[in-house]
Amino acid sequence: MDLTVNGDLHSLQVDRERSLLSVLRSELDLTGTKYGCGEGNCGACTVLIDGEPAQSCITPVSAAAGRSVTTVEGLAAGDELNPVQQAFIAHSAFQCGYCTPGFIISATALLARNSHPSEAEVRSGLNGNICRCGAYVRIIRAVRSAATAMASPASAREPAE
Amino acid sequence: MSATTSAQKYTLTVTGPPRWTLPGEPPEVGGDPAVLLTIDRSGQVSVYSGKVEYGQGIRHGFALTVADELSISPADVDVVLADTARVPWDRGTTGSASMRTVGVQLRRAAATARRVLIDLAADRWGVKAADVELVDGAARAGSPALTLDFAALLDGLSLQRDIPDDIGPGTELAPAEDATRARRVDALEKVTGRARYSQDFVVPGMLHGKVIRPPTYGAKLVDIDTARAERVPGFVALVRDGDFAGVVAETEHAATYSLESVRVRWEESRDDASDWSLPSLLQEHAGEAVVLQESGSLDEGMGEADGVLDGTYFAPYISNAQMEPSAAVASWEDGKLSVWCGNRGPFSERAQLAGALGISEGDVHVMTLAVGGSFGTKTPTVSLEAARLARHAGRPVKVAYTRSEEFIWSTVRPAALIEIKSGFTSGGKITAWDYRAFHAGENAFRGRRGAMTPYDVPHTRVAVAGSVSPLQHGSYRSLGGAVNHFARETHMDRMARRLEMDPAEFRLRNLSHPRYRRVLEAAMDRFGWSTRKRRDGVGFGLAVGFDAGSYVAECVEVEVRDQQVQVRRVTAAFDCGAIVNPDGVRNQVEGSIVMGIGSALWEAVEFDGGRVLTTGFNRYRVPRVMDTPEIEVVLIEDDSNPATGAGEPGIVPIAAAVANAVADATGLVIEQLPIEPQLR
Repeated sequence: MDLTVNGDLHSLQVDRERSLLSVLRSELDLTGTKYGCGEGNCGACTVLIDGEPAQSCITPVSAAAGRSVTTVEGLAAGDELNPVQQAFIAHSAFQCGYCTPGFIISATALLARNSHPSEAEVRSGLNGNICRCGAYVRIIRAVRSAATAMASPASAREPAE
Repeated sequence: MSATTSAQKYTLTVTGPPRWTLPGEPPEVGGDPAVLLTIDRSGQVSVYSGKVEYGQGIRHGFALTVADELSISPADVDVVLADTARVPWDRGTTGSASMRTVGVQLRRAAATARRVLIDLAADRWGVKAADVELVDGAARAGSPALTLDFAALLDGLSLQRDIPDDIGPGTELAPAEDATRARRVDALEKVTGRARYSQDFVVPGMLHGKVIRPPTYGAKLVDIDTARAERVPGFVALVRDGDFAGVVAETEHAATYSLESVRVRWEESRDDASDWSLPSLLQEHAGEAVVLQESGSLDEGMGEADGVLDGTYFAPYISNAQMEPSAAVASWEDGKLSVWCGNRGPFSERAQLAGALGISEGDVHVMTLAVGGSFGTKTPTVSLEAARLARHAGRPVKVAYTRSEEFIWSTVRPAALIEIKSGFTSGGKITAWDYRAFHAGENAFRGRRGAMTPYDVPHTRVAVAGSVSPLQHGSYRSLGGAVNHFARETHMDRMARRLEMDPAEFRLRNLSHPRYRRVLEAAMDRFGWSTRKRRDGVGFGLAVGFDAGSYVAECVEVEVRDQQVQVRRVTAAFDCGAIVNPDGVRNQVEGSIVMGIGSALWEAVEFDGGRVLTTGFNRYRVPRVMDTPEIEVVLIEDDSNPATGAGEPGIVPIAAAVANAVADATGLVIEQLPIEPQLR
């Protein structure tokens, strides 16, 4: 089966029913996407499939075949972190960091569909992700500041696609 | 690492006891002088500690304090943690003690290095040491400036220095004010997914293991039929050793299928304990009480009282439920074991592994990976399981728990039943305080933290006892402390209500300790306690606490609608003495508050007949983004007191403050956690 992850095409011989999470971690060594519960309850395994957030632990790999998967490893452009990653660093929006990739992916998806979310929209948009260290106050702050940064003149100068 | 081998590699080695002990404190057993800091030929500064970074930010805290002393960037300090072959012995990462013990000692080691570097430069240039300063990783003196970096200053040397006694615990250097100071040195690896946790770790040739779990605690293995498992592609072997059994396979996927394919017969033992019978069990099976506080006579105190209040408080077992389920990789070579895992202390992990496997500690090497949360758990069980499977399989084995294994087979915070009887005058003075706590677990010591009352009560008795524990209990954020505070601070509010007195005023009338008063008044002030407005469905509560040497007060506002509680706002005032990284302290206090809200409102591990029923987040509600209140943390930055704990104290008042606010909103008497089920 063909799987495109972070722009790279992989041809894999795997059980179609295996979870996308298991294939990403074990076959492609993309361990930034985390196992947290295996039941779609915690968001640690969130990836983008054609730009939409998905819980990779309950997504069969076959459902991602022929589509474009983005994991946390694929967010930066070279050494340039994406605005959400930058904001998570600037606001120390993590403690142990295990949930962080899932939050960053969910937030990236949220900002792609709503570039100026209110605080309430950020909260509901990230409610599927659990941070047991409780860094939520900072996560909300980081995501809102990423939205502001993305709207700033510096990013507006980037050529539009 | 011995000083002789390090001498060949390092140009400067600083040695000393691995942790700072306060004057009058006995030195720690096993804390022999060891290498704490090195500078190698390239000028690289490294520091060494047996503490574990599990999210609390000590890697950054250590880097920052060392960097300040040597005038280098925190990112340029290599912080080597929790590898038994490389770092000094340490008893474990508990009690919010890392910064105030090891952090201080590493700072002293850095100050020693600073002195050596400055003296070398002064000799070289023929100037006074006082005229040399360290700037951006180099010594500098005079104008035009003479400059030499660390590598050049130490070139060709092989120095070893003990930390001299005249280097104190504090610093005379003001830390540089820099907006990027709070940016953690481990941030980049966390936001890019590059950090390797134990769940992520692999070694070449490794097998994946799954332990065959009994259906109930204490069940005995009768027999295993592996006929179907043997047909699973990738199945390698069944391992059986008494009641311990597991399968190993070439991939995790194959291991999971193999596990599902074995047929096992168990002989279950009868166990009638359940979560609902737990309060009476704790009382019936109480061990001998340890009296922690005793003054005056309770009879006299009750006799002087105008009112007497009895309360019986209960907190259930709760799960640490850290985001990373436990995992470990074990590898044997020539009878020596290497283990990569998350843990709370690599040396206690090593001791427990050696003991269980019947080998010497010197033959066990524990390496600690990035740790995805702990809050007191991360028991050696998973490492031991991996080691046993690997020993039988003859190849390295990884064991990675599923979430349900983590819920069932990890440890839980001990439940507790606490009885309080108090007497008070109509003028609002407490005359008698009789406190009897029964904490699950035989060791009464584990329930001591936070049990003593800080209030000025002439007739007091505080006694704590251990009791049975149907579930395997372990540590938690402020073990015992959070539960003792819930009982005491809830009882305080109930007395205030009986007196129709403001709960803050009632506390202040009975609280002379200046640091307690300072945090309470600071929290009330910033929260706007005296101008709070009661509205329908809205309530306000507060509580004070002390833990790990630090003082904290929290004021909360809740809204109760449709039998659900939303915590709207929390203001915390926090006094942990001198502070290395204020943002790190805030992060910890915020996290403690969020975590404590879960224990206050929803969390309880359900079990019945030796079987844990809480096996996933769908049956165990933890706080999420939408549950998070607006949180303000007021730091009392008082350098006249030594640095004390920051990771845990923020959790101790929150459950009571929330309970008191819900009681304020609803008029209910709350004696148990969690609160929300009681509103239905």
